[in-house]
Amino acid sequence: MRRRVAGLPLDVTAAGTWRSAVAVVAYAVPIGFILVPLTSFLVYSFFWVEGGQMRFSLTLLNYQRFFTDDIFLPVFWRTLFLCLKVAGLAIGFGYPVAYLLAGLEGRKKYSFAMLLVVPLLMSYVIKIYAIRSILGGNGFLNQALLALGLIDQPLTFFVFNLNAVLLTLTALLIPFAILPIFLSLERIPRSLLEASADLGASSAQTFVKVILPLSLPGLVAAGTFVFVLAIGDFLTPQMVGGQSGFTFGRIIYSQFGMAFNWPFGAALSVVLAAVVVGAIAAGALFGNRRDEQR
Amino acid sequence: MTRNKTATIALSTVTGFVVVILYGPIFVPIVSSFFTVKRGTVTWDEPTLAAYSALTRNEGVLEALRNTLIVGVLAVVLSLALGTLLAFYYHSGRSRGREFLQLVVFLPFLMPPIITGLSLLIFFREIDFSRSLVTVVIGHTAFVLALVYRTVLVRLQSLSRSLIEASYDLGASGLQTFRYVLLPNLSSAMIGAAVLAFALSFDETMITLLVTGTENTLPIRLWAMMRLGFTPDINALVALILLFTTVLCLAAARHLMPQGAAGREG
Amino acid sequence: MSEDRILLELKSVTKSFGSVTVLEDINLAVHDGEFITILGPSGSGKTTILRMIGGFTAPSGGEILLDDGDITAVPINRRPFNTVFQDYALFPHLTVARNVGYGLTVRGVPQGERRRRVAEALDLVQLGDLADRYPAQLSGGQRQRVALARAIICEPRLILLDEPLAALDVELRKQMQLFLKKIQREIKTTFLFVTHDQEEAIAMADRICVMNFGRVLQIGSPHEVYYRPSSEFVARFFGDNNLIQGRLADGDRTRRRIDTPIGPLVCAVDGQPEVAGAPAGRQAFAVFRPETVAVGRGGAAENACMGDVMAVGFGGATTLTEVALSTANGPIGIRVKTTSRVDGAQVTSGDRVVLNWSAEDCRLVLA
Repeated sequence: MRRRVAGLPLDVTAAGTWRSAVAVVAYAVPIGFILVPLTSFLVYSFFWVEGGQMRFSLTLLNYQRFFTDDIFLPVFWRTLFLCLKVAGLAIGFGYPVAYLLAGLEGRKKYSFAMLLVVPLLMSYVIKIYAIRSILGGNGFLNQALLALGLIDQPLTFFVFNLNAVLLTLTALLIPFAILPIFLSLERIPRSLLEASADLGASSAQTFVKVILPLSLPGLVAAGTFVFVLAIGDFLTPQMVGGQSGFTFGRIIYSQFGMAFNWPFGAALSVVLAAVVVGAIAAGALFGNRRDEQR
Repeated sequence: MTRNKTATIALSTVTGFVVVILYGPIFVPIVSSFFTVKRGTVTWDEPTLAAYSALTRNEGVLEALRNTLIVGVLAVVLSLALGTLLAFYYHSGRSRGREFLQLVVFLPFLMPPIITGLSLLIFFREIDFSRSLVTVVIGHTAFVLALVYRTVLVRLQSLSRSLIEASYDLGASGLQTFRYVLLPNLSSAMIGAAVLAFALSFDETMITLLVTGTENTLPIRLWAMMRLGFTPDINALVALILLFTTVLCLAAARHLMPQGAAGREG
Repeated sequence: MSEDRILLELKSVTKSFGSVTVLEDINLAVHDGEFITILGPSGSGKTTILRMIGGFTAPSGGEILLDDGDITAVPINRRPFNTVFQDYALFPHLTVARNVGYGLTVRGVPQGERRRRVAEALDLVQLGDLADRYPAQLSGGQRQRVALARAIICEPRLILLDEPLAALDVELRKQMQLFLKKIQREIKTTFLFVTHDQEEAIAMADRICVMNFGRVLQIGSPHEVYYRPSSEFVARFFGDNNLIQGRLADGDRTRRRIDTPIGPLVCAVDGQPEVAGAPAGRQAFAVFRPETVAVGRGGAAENACMGDVMAVGFGGATTLTEVALSTANGPIGIRVKTTSRVDGAQVTSGDRVVLNWSAEDCRLVLA
């Protein structure tokens, strides 16, 4: 549509069609490839398998089975607590490192940060394998302990059980704990620390009364982050868990493999998703409460 | 901020310990790649580069590597195009629809990969779409989309509105404004996001395991070899990959840094 | 006279954001070739007017006419206007030369001609040797001039300036005020300048449009708005002023008396028919500038009164004296501004003085 007004061309409609096209694509692709699969996945959890055949009618059978069968619920709790322990350990080790990093200046800080990031660039599968071989009977750890004379026989309780899963996940996820803690430490204004010293507090007191409380949001974020990563990981338990280290993730994975009960696997995954959403929400709530206190 | 001696020693010890934990699993394969491996144990007195040359002959691994690169490039291109479009759309107004859309985009990144992978698996089965590298590309794109979207959006939001107004005011059309003003200012964010997305796709295992057909990406191939045991050339491959991804991420860091630090304007 | 030809007109323009009305019934005519300033406090709607003219916002009602043609619906990039933004909006990724040439680039002007015109524009604003620098490397004043050159080069019919001097320090601002005025005279383009600084408006404008709360209060030359304000707000907005409230008494076409607590005052009403014709008894203010009040027994001054000096403030070139006149309802203060005397012989606190001013210097504003 071209009109001329005051000698000026008037293109009004062209912009409009562009905008609609953009909006359509913007909505279509995420909904098509993310929302729809997730919805179908949710719906699947309400289907069931009978005698090797899929039954496409809605039922709560799968959820019922999860809660009543004596295998699944215990494994679920065990996995939950395991991941909480992983989160705790990761924070425990990550906080000092983040603290040290925050205290560095300029180039040193940047280089050390890079140093901490590089391990993340290593292939995940290879890392798990390497840890397994280090922890194993012939592995580095045992060789070192033997050489130091601390033990006479190689220790086997490091691999192919839940301990191994715990140790491996912690080793893998410590860097993910370091980042949020570091960021929240950085945000503490220097002037607060100076004020604390000015008012007579020792560095220990300053840490306990000023730094720790103010870095708590970062701690919670780190814990949530590690927890979510740990609970969703089914590769690590598969590789280092052996027979006794069965986690919830592995059970889910097997439903799509050997057990071939996709609806049940979907139901278990929905439970997993619920836990993850709960963890994220809890972490966010903590963050909001903190902000109100300020 | 002064810290007393004991605290510093304690901190450094813990940090040292953590660094050992982090780098242990890295060093062992890399260092081993330069020595011969007999019956699963490393013989430390026979340095060699045989592992590296064996690598060039390992067809399976090389093909998996090729697939990984193809998937990575495609996933990056798709997520860049879509992520940029979404960022512009979100930035162009305020509505509940936009907030909802943003949540949907974030989901595959926030949820454990097993859930994203499983939902796509079920979806593909229901629409009778056979699993292949295509489904892997779709899975990877869904995964990294949130990262690319967010990176571009943050940069877009940091651009002053008056820049776009000034461009129109001086007579530019929408397309010209995009080309002359928006793209140059977004390009470094886009490149940084692309590099990170590629690194993520390169190493992605869990989703790929679930949605791949008969084709392998490198992580899948390594995973399969886990059961059978590793050949020495894997150590060589790992060393090379680490080098490659480190360089890639240093490049990304350079691009994502604020202009003042390393740009010509500084 | 081309000065009087109307270039752009806003007719009954209103603007609301949801339930908040920002502009009410704006009628404004911009003359070809003039330097017009829209002046008002924050929130008065002055920037909204500029943005509507530029096309960045659309009016809720009314129309915008260019040469009598309705351009209300014409998009930003089609309007023959260019804007100097408050934050300058220089493209950080382009050199000064490319910034200035941007309008020509998007129009497809060939490179040779573009280079020539960019060089000319940069010379005009005296930035010729900074062509290859980036905005981040320039000072505030330099960026300002680049923004100006970028707007001028496209030879627009109207240049819109959105408080461009707000970010500069006082000295630089005064220099830029003179500079902008000079440039405008040279290129003979119409300038529409928005500011909240009344000194700036008086210094630069051919005409000032005073605004408050989304309404146009008065449009006139600096002289007019300064000496003949049409409302109480305008009277108080510029510099120091004396306003004495009272009731209108009798008068004719050139003179009107007003009964005030400090006695009857005689005011000039020529050129203000609505004041001359207002009914007797109507509430009004007598308005007279401190610098027009003389201390001491005057000769033919129509207005005179006596009071006590409360405070004397030395202000450099001028001295501001506060004099209290007693009335039935308490004292009323009058400010007197005189040229400071080097020998220091002036009134001091406590002195009893006589003040006088002429009817010419005394105006009326309806309350």
